[in-house]
Amino acid sequence: MISFIPAVNSSAAALDAERTRLEVISQNIANANTTRGVDGKAYQRQQVVFESVLRQAGGNLAVPELRVSNIVKDQRPPRLVFNPGHPDADEQGMVAMPNVNIHEEMADMIVASRAFEANLAVIKNARQLAMQALSIGKR
Amino acid sequence: MALALLNSVRRMIGALFNQPGYVAAQKMLDATVLRHHAIASNIANVETPNYKRLDVDANFGMQLNRALDGGHTDAMRSLKPSLVVDTNATAANRDGNTVKLEQELLQMNQNQLTHTLETQLITGSLLKLRLAITGRPS
Repeated sequence: MISFIPAVNSSAAALDAERTRLEVISQNIANANTTRGVDGKAYQRQQVVFESVLRQAGGNLAVPELRVSNIVKDQRPPRLVFNPGHPDADEQGMVAMPNVNIHEEMADMIVASRAFEANLAVIKNARQLAMQALSIGKR
Repeated sequence: MALALLNSVRRMIGALFNQPGYVAAQKMLDATVLRHHAIASNIANVETPNYKRLDVDANFGMQLNRALDGGHTDAMRSLKPSLVVDTNATAANRDGNTVKLEQELLQMNQNQLTHTLETQLITGSLLKLRLAITGRPS
């Protein structure tokens, strides 16, 4: 027997990974103007790295499952803004702003939430398949 | 005497569930559930770089067809669908991922319809059996 509700594990893992991505995006947006992060420098944009790992799905069936392999910092240089009155400004009056681009984050957020929805649709579909299988023999 | 009777009853019951159509529907149902696994994995990995989409081995359908044409239920029972990498799919962009989300969602809907059809087929043959046994439509 493969499983009662087919493939719900790989979809659940994908939901988890997409939720992590949404959390990282919200962190980026929240810190889009943070000039002094935990390390004392301007906040650096973070991004998730996805990978797929083989998981045994019962029997000799192995399906690739989505997983967040790492959350890495974006190494692009900070955005320099001239603002001499700012306490974090350097000698030339330039303030290092985070390398977060709001438009990029919004686009990523839409992609992540759509991927989340697609996985939810798969889970709903799996449930319907299980219900149909349970009603075999009934009219 | 009693043992011989028991054996013949057992063979009769076995024969009830050994009709080619019934066995084929069972096997097709297996393949449908497996395809759902493949689609779920494909949609989960829609943005994993270098992921190649999976599908049920196309040979399974051909072998099942051949066994069904011959009416060999034993050959049908020994068949087992498996997942293979879809080599026909091409990557849409440079990340090497061959999954197209819309295609997968379409396939998922199509797969659900197939599943409905197969469960209805199995239900139909079970109801026919019940009709034959009891003599009244349940």
